[in-house]
Amino acid sequence: MSLLSIKDLSISFDTPRGMLEAVRHADLEVPAGTSVGIVGESGSGKTVMSRAAMGLLQGSNVHRSGTVVFDGHDLTAMTRVGVREYFGTGMAMIFQDPMTALNPVRRIGSQISEGLRVRLGMDKRKAMARSEELLTLVHIPDPGTTLHKFPYQLSGGMRQRVMIAIAIACEPKLLFADEPTTALDVTVQAQILQLLGDLRRDLGMSMVLVTHDLGVVAGNTDIVAVMYAGEIVEQAPTKSLFANMRMPYTEALLKSIPKMDMPSGKRLQVIEGRLPDPTDRPVGCGFAARCMYVQPKCHAEHPPLIHDGDGHLYRCWFPLGKK
Amino acid sequence: MRKFTIPTWCTIGWLGFVIFLAIFGSLLPFRPWEYVYEDSLGVAPFSPGHLLGTDTNGYDLLSSVVNGARLSLFISITAVGIGGFIGAILGITAAYVRGKLDTVMVTLFNVALSVPNLVLALALVSVLATNIDVNNPVPTWRRVVVLTAALTIVLIPILGRIARAATLSWTNREFVVAARSMGMRDRNIIARHIVPNVLPALIAVGFLAIGVVIIAEASLSLLGVGVPDGASWGGMIARGRNDLEYSPHVLYVPLAFLALTVISTNHLGDVLRSSLDRRESKL
Amino acid sequence: MAGSGTAHMRSGEDVILAVNDIVVEFKVGGGQIVKAVSKISFDVCRGETLAIVGESGCGKTTLGKAVLQLPPPNSGEVIFEGVDLTKLSKEKLRSARTSMQMVFQDPISSLDPRMTVRQLIEEPLWIWDRGTNEERTTTINKLLNDVGLDPELVLDRRAYEFSGGQCQRISIARSLALEPHMLICDEPVSALDVSIQAQILNLLQDMKDRYGLTMIFISHNLAVVKAVSDRIMVMYLGKICEVGTPDVIYSKPAHHYTAALIDSVPIPDPTREVSRAILQGEPPSPVDPPSGCRFRTRCPAATDICASDEPQLREVTPGQFVACHHPRS
Repeated sequence: MSLLSIKDLSISFDTPRGMLEAVRHADLEVPAGTSVGIVGESGSGKTVMSRAAMGLLQGSNVHRSGTVVFDGHDLTAMTRVGVREYFGTGMAMIFQDPMTALNPVRRIGSQISEGLRVRLGMDKRKAMARSEELLTLVHIPDPGTTLHKFPYQLSGGMRQRVMIAIAIACEPKLLFADEPTTALDVTVQAQILQLLGDLRRDLGMSMVLVTHDLGVVAGNTDIVAVMYAGEIVEQAPTKSLFANMRMPYTEALLKSIPKMDMPSGKRLQVIEGRLPDPTDRPVGCGFAARCMYVQPKCHAEHPPLIHDGDGHLYRCWFPLGKK
Repeated sequence: MRKFTIPTWCTIGWLGFVIFLAIFGSLLPFRPWEYVYEDSLGVAPFSPGHLLGTDTNGYDLLSSVVNGARLSLFISITAVGIGGFIGAILGITAAYVRGKLDTVMVTLFNVALSVPNLVLALALVSVLATNIDVNNPVPTWRRVVVLTAALTIVLIPILGRIARAATLSWTNREFVVAARSMGMRDRNIIARHIVPNVLPALIAVGFLAIGVVIIAEASLSLLGVGVPDGASWGGMIARGRNDLEYSPHVLYVPLAFLALTVISTNHLGDVLRSSLDRRESKL
Repeated sequence: MAGSGTAHMRSGEDVILAVNDIVVEFKVGGGQIVKAVSKISFDVCRGETLAIVGESGCGKTTLGKAVLQLPPPNSGEVIFEGVDLTKLSKEKLRSARTSMQMVFQDPISSLDPRMTVRQLIEEPLWIWDRGTNEERTTTINKLLNDVGLDPELVLDRRAYEFSGGQCQRISIARSLALEPHMLICDEPVSALDVSIQAQILNLLQDMKDRYGLTMIFISHNLAVVKAVSDRIMVMYLGKICEVGTPDVIYSKPAHHYTAALIDSVPIPDPTREVSRAILQGEPPSPVDPPSGCRFRTRCPAATDICASDEPQLREVTPGQFVACHHPRS
């Protein structure tokens, strides 16, 4: 039974330049107790999808279709007030930029305890005490003093930990992490990823990890979904995906990243061209214009998502590895 | 490129009309505004020969309003123009050079801003443009010049601060460092990179300032230290105060012109500002 | 960690840039002084790409800008092509700048949003009054073609109409207009999408080969740096930890910080075990750095001598220099 089940989700925005299709017919299952990674570049739709899944997308210019079922409840059929019941205790999110995700004029303690008081009905003293415990849980040194500090007094890594503390305060079942380490230094990134892994284990939390970094998903996820131009183009258990890539985009992405064990001085393999215009999606496969293995059929017909036997999904007419 | 809404077109049209009146007003086939129509005192608008009526002293309101347009616009545009120019030079230089010069400039700005505008204008006008001898009144042009100068002085720190703030936000961008690294001289960097990026913000604020100055002049006229003989819109309002009961049009006509003009400049200032924000947000 | 320490310096005709004992400090609010770069020395040989690697706060960007004297360092020498830039008059410095150009991190804010591409690339030529209008047009077109942009399509458009990758190409074209001898690239691909990074890195390599450039490449991304550099210098909190060639440093790092840095990089290979022994804590404040070796507060091998004596750079294997009292073996 999936904790989160996204079916046929499509999201478009009304913009002066036309209808912007951010997400197109996306399906995603997050089984309980797993960590699912969503990998894509900017413009792939991954952030829009995670925000929409949590019910955070608002605005009169947003068009949404499809369903999002969390823990058996259909969120898309609810009002905004109804969905909010699940924030904090059901689902929580941590964001990319710790600088702007925290309120600069409120102290740390007050920001963490807000959720505890509103969602769990704790009184002020108990909430503060619990906030201090949470800061210890996320390895912030000297939690007592930190409660009274303002965000600007903390470093980026510390702020990210505070954001994690806020997110797990009400012990949600599912944590969305939207590029949680992109803005951080690499050593701090390693600490935060390790922290998230430990918390997941200790709290029995599931996670959706949105990132552009294939290295991050390799070590921190059980299942990976790759998005390109608003669609899920490949999905598989992490080990299978890396061992047995089907989608040329995934392979090209992997090849174009400079790696630590590459010999120095070698030229990188490049993905030519640019992302397609989200207001003018091509008829065929979204990656056709840049694909090394492109055939005429790719431009003409839009490939559906094909299910392989062992949990591997891909969206390609001529997948790699298949004879 | 830019889509103007209907209200925006209306305000542009109104301002264009007022500017036309101000520039070409004296060429229109009207008697000069001081001409007293002795047999048409306090006549209502749309009467024959007097499109906007006359006031209780016999002055034709249309001619008066046209004359007032010239004065109000002259004073406000000159004050904003010169005040903005000087303020911009001071503000941009202070923000670019920084250090002690900046600290001194900011202090000067703050001191100047702490003096209430109207009080300053009042003081200057009383000293420089008033004769003790009541029988020998001060020429109108002298009053106008002193008034404009007073309002200019008030505007320098206001626009200077805005220019400084805008410059601060631009000098930290990497393209300024890039220009320096190419060996560009500071004065060229200011002229070619800073000013063109700061100017649009200043122009937008300038529009708003024009409205403020028109009202300031009107307030001064109400206090009796504006343009003498009630020649400006403010003066007309001052004169028309007492006629509210029996000839209200005497008050409403200049009020309407004043209000519509200030609404127009405010609206256009807003439109300019938001179209700038849109362009910046594309960055 | 050394700052002082010149064991890694080379001499001879080939050295195009030699920076000696450079110090960059600046005041922040409250009377405190940030010691961004504390008395370090390094050099670059002609045709070489030196990578300066470190995390945020290590001073690498400040160092890059200080080499260009933007702003000039508090003390130390910057000897470029035989001339000490710190001792030049304002005018002479201006003209010396033409041989050394910089590519910046944020491609979009490094271009004046109001100017067209033609104006942007022409600007350096205009400043130095080079070429007639025709010659300039030829140069501009050639540069745009070199960086992979079609002059017809881009010349009259403004910077804000382009994507990050294209802006970076324009920026690179502009930096080559004056035919510099050395290019300092400050995190040139950090702000770009993954699939665009490879394009720009290859472009920089091409330009280097075509124009015979020497490059200083500043980055926090260890993998990127490995692909493009001949020599790597690792910095931490204003000091140099280790200097060496990429192959050696990545396979046998001698400094504990370098090792921690390498271990922290996520590898896109799920079969590799993620190391549990990661570097804990946060870097100390540059306003009040630790005495002796600045890394000792987080170093697993720190002893008393690390607090009292600042380690100097010394050669541990041929071509590999480390500033540590207890280097890894």
